Amino acid sequence: MNGWNAIFALAVLMLTGCSGIKPYPNELEKNLYLTVKVESGSMFSSVKASVDIYRVDLNCQTHYQGTVNLNNETAKVGIPASRPSYLVFNFSSSSFLANSSGSINYETVLTPRAGHIYDAEVNYVDDLYNVTTFERGKRGRHQVEDRSLSDCKGG
Amino acid sequence: MLGMMPAMKFNNLLMTMLAVALLAGCVKHPLTAEEFRKAVPGAFMGEVESFEVSRSFRAVANTFKKRAPKCLDVRIKTVSQTNTSYQVIVTKYTPTVIVTKDRAELHVQQHHEQGVMKVSEMPEKGYYLIVADATPVGKNRTRIDLYRPSMGHDVMVKAIKGWATGKSKGCPDLAKN
Repeated sequence: MNGWNAIFALAVLMLTGCSGIKPYPNELEKNLYLTVKVESGSMFSSVKASVDIYRVDLNCQTHYQGTVNLNNETAKVGIPASRPSYLVFNFSSSSFLANSSGSINYETVLTPRAGHIYDAEVNYVDDLYNVTTFERGKRGRHQVEDRSLSDCKGG
Repeated sequence: MLGMMPAMKFNNLLMTMLAVALLAGCVKHPLTAEEFRKAVPGAFMGEVESFEVSRSFRAVANTFKKRAPKCLDVRIKTVSQTNTSYQVIVTKYTPTVIVTKDRAELHVQQHHEQGVMKVSEMPEKGYYLIVADATPVGKNRTRIDLYRPSMGHDVMVKAIKGWATGKSKGCPDLAKN
């Protein structure tokens, strides 16, 4: 019996702490509004979306803060204003018939301005994926240029 | 970016590898984009697809420049597993975009970093998989010539067509190829 308890404890550890995935605390004022549209294109397969959020320090090093599962059509997330955050959107697909699975990422760096709201449209349709972000403020709404981590200049 | 794609997709991968091999007649793989353009029309499982889009040459070229590095500079891990075998293939895709006043070229090369034996000399960034040429034919009209495998990599072809027509900016899920 003790053996089964040990196995169970190990399984719980692997599924939680040891997996390295943790929920994003999401305690800051919500400034990133996500609209999610995910369609696998087949009744025999499914696609799940999530976003890993990283803090980017002055040396352009990333620090994992947590993951938000995008199971719903909308989600509101608070990320630090005036500081870059590295967002890694993950699309994981699985096929029931072929017993197969796969995943692919879309990465972008967002530096929110204080007092602004960011609308991110997260799409995965017909095996094509995209994330488009818009900034909303007193001067209206405009698309935010996609930035890469390689654009970061440390120092 | 790292994706995983086991089982059924493996057949598609094999077919694509075969197509890439046959594009050069199994003798010598094209080492440049120009050699690839010349090899595809006469190759088994090679295809040249040409069409015109109602967009300016500059708009098409800009889309290639923005989307190709974002979407096609990826590394994909594929896993094939049966009762008796287990195979892992890691493929690195590398896009190159060259824009002149007369032509915008998008090259996609693939390098199997793990799990596939190299059978002939390979260009530095991998074997050529797709070459898309955009040339201006009018103020808001651009001709697209797509040198591609006739089977497999449909998702990548769909994405490139979407960028050319302006109908979609989506990235292809290359784990689905």
